[in-house]
Formats: sequence, C-alpha cells, structure tokens
Amino acid sequence: MDEKTQVKILTKFEGVPDSRSLSAYLQHGGYNSLQKALTLQPDEVIDRIKQSGLRGRGGAGFPTGLKWSFVPKQIEEKYLLCNNDEGEPGTFKDRYILELSPHMLIEGMAIAAWAIGAKKAYIYTRCEFYQEIAWMEEAIAEAYKEGYLGKNIFGTNFQFDLDHYTGAGAYICGEETGLISSLEGKKGQPKLKPPFPAVSGYLNKPTVVNNTETLAAIPWIIEHGAEAYQALGTEKSPGTKLFCLSGPVKNPGVYEVPLGYPLKSLIENEGGGMLPGKTLKAVIPGGISAPVLTPDEVETMTLDYEAISAAGSMLGSGAVIVIPHDQCMIELLKVTLDFFHHESCGQCTPCREGTGWLANLMNGFYDKSAKIQDVNKLHSIASHMQGRTICALSDAAAMPTKAIIEKFGDELRSYIKQGYRS
Amino acid sequence: MSEQVTFKLNEKDVTVPKGWTVMQAAKRENVSIPHFCWHPKLSVAGVCRFCMVHVEGARKLEIACNLEARDGMVVRTDLDEVKEAHRWALEFHLINHPLDCPVCDQAGECGLQDFYMDVGKYESQMSRPKVLKPKAINLGRELVLDTERCILCSRCVRFEEEVTKTNALGIFDRGDRAIIGTYGDEKIEHNYQENLVDICPVGAFTSKKFRFKQRVWFLKEKSSVCPGCSTGCHIKVHGKPDIRRLFRIKPEECDEVNGAWMCDQGRTMHQHLNPEYRLNEAMVLDQEAGQSFPGTQGALAALLDKIARTQVDNIALLVSAQYTNEEYVSLFDFFIKGMGVSKVYLWRTETEQTDNFDGILLRGDRNPNTTGLMQILRDYPDVGAKTVMNELSQCIESRPEVLIALCPEIPSGFPDLKNQLQNLSTLPWVSVWGVHHDLLSWEFSHLLPMKGFIEKNGTFINHAGKEGHLTESFAPMVSEALSVSEVIDGLRRIDANGPDGQKGVTDGNH
Repeated sequence: MDEKTQVKILTKFEGVPDSRSLSAYLQHGGYNSLQKALTLQPDEVIDRIKQSGLRGRGGAGFPTGLKWSFVPKQIEEKYLLCNNDEGEPGTFKDRYILELSPHMLIEGMAIAAWAIGAKKAYIYTRCEFYQEIAWMEEAIAEAYKEGYLGKNIFGTNFQFDLDHYTGAGAYICGEETGLISSLEGKKGQPKLKPPFPAVSGYLNKPTVVNNTETLAAIPWIIEHGAEAYQALGTEKSPGTKLFCLSGPVKNPGVYEVPLGYPLKSLIENEGGGMLPGKTLKAVIPGGISAPVLTPDEVETMTLDYEAISAAGSMLGSGAVIVIPHDQCMIELLKVTLDFFHHESCGQCTPCREGTGWLANLMNGFYDKSAKIQDVNKLHSIASHMQGRTICALSDAAAMPTKAIIEKFGDELRSYIKQGYRS
Repeated sequence: MSEQVTFKLNEKDVTVPKGWTVMQAAKRENVSIPHFCWHPKLSVAGVCRFCMVHVEGARKLEIACNLEARDGMVVRTDLDEVKEAHRWALEFHLINHPLDCPVCDQAGECGLQDFYMDVGKYESQMSRPKVLKPKAINLGRELVLDTERCILCSRCVRFEEEVTKTNALGIFDRGDRAIIGTYGDEKIEHNYQENLVDICPVGAFTSKKFRFKQRVWFLKEKSSVCPGCSTGCHIKVHGKPDIRRLFRIKPEECDEVNGAWMCDQGRTMHQHLNPEYRLNEAMVLDQEAGQSFPGTQGALAALLDKIARTQVDNIALLVSAQYTNEEYVSLFDFFIKGMGVSKVYLWRTETEQTDNFDGILLRGDRNPNTTGLMQILRDYPDVGAKTVMNELSQCIESRPEVLIALCPEIPSGFPDLKNQLQNLSTLPWVSVWGVHHDLLSWEFSHLLPMKGFIEKNGTFINHAGKEGHLTESFAPMVSEALSVSEVIDGLRRIDANGPDGQKGVTDGNH
C-alpha cells in the first residue's frame, strides 16, 4: 500500500495504550482542534467542513458542511445530535470509534456545536452497546472535569453540554427523524418532511443529526485543513472511511481506507481473501439495504459514493458483507425481508404493507407454495415501494430485493421449478 | 388580501393563497386526488402515501397533502405514472383488508370502495394469508373498532389529539402488526365519539347506534340544523321517507359554525321524530265525554272556541325556544297583535346554563333558537315576557284560564320535563303543542301534534347571531303533524269562515 492509503484519521488510536483515556488523547494532540475552532467564526468552521467535502457517514452521504449551513442563525435554541444507533445490519464501525477514542467524538461534537450554535447535544446510542456506553460516560465525565465540556470552554464564552440517550433497539430510530422522535420520548417513527430537522427538529428546534463517524472526522479536518482531507479519497468522495468487512474472509473487521479504494483490495488485502474452500458469490457493499454486487462488478468496483451508486448500489454505512458461493440467495433474501418486515414502523402504507407482503411471499419458498410468478411479483412490489414513503426504510427493503431478483432471480426460479430444492 | 401564488394543475392555472397545499387547491378546483389520511380539519400526517402527484423537475412523485403550492410549479395528477402510483397505493391498503363489505356498515360510503372504482379496478395480486387482527372491540359508548379493516391513516388519533385533546387513541405495535387502540382497557368517554366514525375512511370505526341498521345507499340525505343547543351545527339527516324512519345525523361541513364536527348528543336529535315516539293526532279532553280525537280541523275549532269564550286577560302563552322565527312571528301576530294576549312566559329550565360551553361545540343553552325568540319578542313591545324556570311556578301561580304551551321538541335540555308537564296539567285548560306521544300521559285539555325540525321550513338564530335554515327535508313522520304557522293559519281560516259563527276572535271585539 502506498502512503496515502495508510493515513489513519479515525483509527489513529489503534495500538495506543489506554487509548480511551483523556491523557492518551491529549498526548496525541487531543482537543487542540477544538481550541483552534474556537478562534474561528462559526461560519469559518462550516466553510472549512464544506471545503473538505466531508459527507455523512451514516449512509446517505449528504455533505456535512451543507447540512450545517441550513441551520438558521437567529434562533437561540438549537441541538446537535449524534446518531450512534448503528442499526444497519453488517455495520460495526461507530462502536469501534468509541472503543478506540470516545474523546475524538466528543471533540468533534464540540466543534460541530460551535459551528451551528448549539449549546446542547445528545449522543443517541444503540442500547446493546453497553460497554461502549460505559466508556463514553467515563469520557464525558473526564471532559467535564477538565473543562472541555460545560461553561467557558478554553476560556471563551462557548458553553456546550453533552449527554447521551439509549435507544431501545428499533432500526428505525437510526433514521434521523425517527431518532428525534425517540429522543423526544415518542414512538420511534420518522417525521414528515418538510420541515427538515435543520429548521424544526428535536423539540421543534433547529437540529443537526450527524453520524458518529462523521463527527469523529471533524477534529482531524480542523487540525490538518480541508485541503489535506480533500487530498485523500476521490474528488466527490474525499477523505477516509471505515469499512466493516464481514463474511467468510480470513480477517473480517473494521478497516479505515481512503474512499475510492478498490473493493477487491479490501477483500484481498485487508480481509486476507476468502476462507479456504469459499469462493465469492456476491458482495453487499453498504449494509443490507444496499443492492448486491456480482463478482464481475466486484472486480472493478471502488469504494466511493459515485462508483457504487453508478452500479445501482450504495456505499451506505460501509458494511461490506461478503457472500460465499454456498450461500442460498433465497435464504439471504428471506432474512433480509424478515428484518425489514420486523423493523418497519408501519406509518406509511407502502412500507407497512409492502415489507409484510414481501416477507410473506418469501415464506412461500419455505412452505412450498411459492409460484414462479412470485419472483417477478416480488420485484414489482418492491419497485412500487421505492420512493413512496416518508423515510428510506421502504427503499431499504425494496432495493436489495430488486437486486437479488435481477442478479440471482434464476436461482429463485429454479428452486421452485425443481420442486423447492436447490 | 393575502399573498397569492399561481401554479399549474393539470395544465390549468390555479391561484391560491400562499401557504396552501396542492391538496387544498385541488379540492377547491374539484380535481380529485385520492387520499385517506388527509382531512381538511386535521393536521397533515402524510402517511397513506395515496395522494401522489407529479411535479415537474422533482426527482420522484410527491404527496399533494404536504406539498405547498409555489409560484410556477407544474403539477399533474393525470399522468400514467401517477395513476399507476395511485393504483399501487390502493393495492397496498387492500392486501390485508378483510374485504368483508357485505357485512360492513361502511359499505357504500367507504373510501376503499370509492377509490377502487376511481383509481383501482385491478385484479388483486395478493395470494398469501392475510394478517389477522382483533375485531369488534368495544371502544366506548358509541364505538366499535375493527382493527382488521383499519388502514392506519391515523385520522382518529389526530382527532383525539387535536380536536377533543383527550389523546385516548394511539397506534400500538409496528409494521403490519400495528393496531389502533386505547391505553389498557380505557374507553373513549367524550361527547364527540361518532366523529371518529365519520372521519374513519373505512369501516374500522362503526357506530353502535347505526351498526347493522340500514344499508347507506337506501338512505336519503337532507341538510338541516341541529336543534340540540344554541350552537346550531349544520347537519345532514339520513332517513328513509318511504318507511317513515330516520336513521342518523351527521355533521355537514361549515367553517363558521361547526367545522366538520358535531357532538354525540346532537346525533340523537332524530330519534324522537320516528313515528313510535310521536303524538299522532290532535286530542281534545272533555270533562264529561273524556278523550276524543276529532282530527286537526276539529281540534283547531275546539281551541278557537275555547279562546273565543275566554277573557283575553285569562289567556297565556308558554313558549319554549325550540321553534323557528317564522313560527314565533305567526304565533305572536295571532295572539299578541291580533287578540291582545299579554301574558307570555318563556319556558326555560335551571339546567340551561346559557354561558356554559364545552370548548368544542356543545353549549349550555339547549335551545336552538333563544336568540331568534328574544329578537322577535322585541317587535312586540307591549308584552313583558317573563322567563319561567323550574316548576313553571310563576306561570302556574298566575292561574290562566287558558294556557297555550309550546312544548320543547328536544327534551334533553329539560331533564325535569315530566314534573313540569305534571304541574302544567293542574291548570284548568291547557293546550299543549308538541311532538311527543308521552303528552297523552297527562290530562291536558287539548293536544296538537307538531312537526319536528326536519319536517318544516324556517330559521334558527344561533348563539352568535348566525342564521341556520331548516328545510322541509322529509315528509312528516306522522301525517297529521303541523308547524306552529300551520296551526295559526288553520285557526285564522276557521276564524274567517268557521261553521260555528265564532268569527272575529282576532278582531279584538270579543
């Protein structure tokens, strides 16, 4: 690997002893970026993030600086929320940031809060992350004690309070407005847009929701400059990203590589290649909502927003799931659809009924009642669930369904033709 | 004038106030956009995803209910892409719907049926077992809920939040297991329950009073004004004139008075008008001959005979505020202007807390036309009308020889009505004009069967001074019934050419 691919931003604390402690963080220049940011006007901070080209790492890839710039200046009460719900199956990167360095997140949040003018922020965390929650609580307490949180940070007028909140396990609470509903104590379901959270979010106040990985990249960008960040990755996908490599590869795990890195290299180099006896059948590049890629597509695919999107899939959360040759695609589609059926909040009809209908049709493959025409039916139901609902959960169920049928439909059909045997 | 915006809706320029949604504009322009969750008097939920429209330049179809009309916007509802989206949206609504229309009270006025005919007409693709949910849940005094028929549009939940502010309903569970319900075993208790039946676009909420009573396509619908209190909600009365039966009352949308709502009490206002509760014919009681039923003409003649033989000072009127302006004018012209009667009592009760208001629609004054009556009385300055309350004691103690009593049509504001009628019956000669069969239970000298509020034309004036017009919507449930004006006309006719020569009652020379 060349030097560029070895830049560590989010994972720079890998191998650092006691890396979660404030002292370790300070030894590596921790909170310098916050101090520097506080010497800049909030708009300058926003501009730098805009220039860096940082895009939201939760899945949608929305430009972070632009999102911040939508927040109205004249309103006093504003909120910053960190989406640490990490619910997309196959994703385990945000927890790794908390495992390595919760202070990096805290510093990123403080800079973001300064930029948008928020005095209060919450980290909304997946409840299963009990260990990470404990580490985060420790870090928040340390930061308060040493004056990196609270009043008069670095002797300025900047006041910033940070708290955390634990979800109850709903996938939909990882959607930004579902997260806001949940944080407000309501049933976790997405809100109708417009209005968008930047205008009316948490408690109907202007709110920015950013993913953990996005916020953790902020201190580095402030420290090294937008140009340094832009120099990494591709033109439209600058910077580095964490990829969660899972499936039957030799070294599954979280890897930080620059965007634009070849998918094949991630599997072969970082992942060490397939386990003996396994060959590649498909790759889900961005969590299970992302359409599968065939081995041919994998050959030339690069890990950036534009390339994966051009192939009809998405970079998503960076959860790269490797599918081996002996994985039955019917089973894959069934578990995928059971998941979305279970997790649909049920407010929008196409999603509520569609996710159930798709899962219900998949049951036909198991109770031996599926008909050949059900394969096309799955595709056409999915097509009409897409782009029709308040949030993207419906699309998240529809897209992988369509891709599996388009790319592996014959496997489903021949299973039925052969009397429900593969 | 507020700021206006102009946009194109199916190639037609449409100008609406800034802030209006495409749905509101389309409704005004009579462009049909199918919808379930949108309701003009509730907040926008945007969850049924039915009202998809095409907006030029937009990445995907948009929902009309949450789409603010903007200058220069080009919106289409008639493209194939939009129609296809509507068809699919409907199919998603229907895949788990039980399709039990033959036993569903909503059939005939159901959004699912109507929109199937408008935008559906497809062969169902649903081949799997449907999701089963609880049915026939008793949810309140007036309500039964079928969660299987429910399409989860959330109108009922928003009604509970926004109109009654009782928050009794919620959506429990999620995905296609989601159901509407109350917390625990709670029941809905407010006085606006049947609005939930109205706004439910399908047969999920049905009315206990109306369930299994009648197929709605057999019902005739007539506009009227609710006589239940001084709000005077605009209503639609549903009945079957051919079998002389009224079945239900629903609110009629009226921004100035009742929005889209009415109270449950108002919805019972037709019940007393069905034939079995009615005073069918006029009655005359003779000391010696006992009760007789001489027909309308005979009874009017007997009344005229009685008043002709009585000193005008000994004649009194007792008037409730439940009759129309036109009836009061004709009554007062005859008795006050014509005959010189000066004893007029206004029949009220102490339970009428006229200033009471439930904050939504129901007012303490349970008379629809107090304002009208008071305004009209001003035209008869020589009469000092006295308000008589409980027991009617002032009226009774004045011992009129002849009392003409316009009995309240709606007894709900008169919980003490039976005692009051009992007390009245102690007077020497009382002519009671009313609708209720019960009036025969007392020994009144004279009874006239009156028309109810939906059987006559006329005007009520509500608490705020707004006129509401009654129309003779249905033929009288009982053929002999008369309005006050018809009684007076009858008296005048007999007076003019009466067989018994008692002419000139109204000439003031008797």
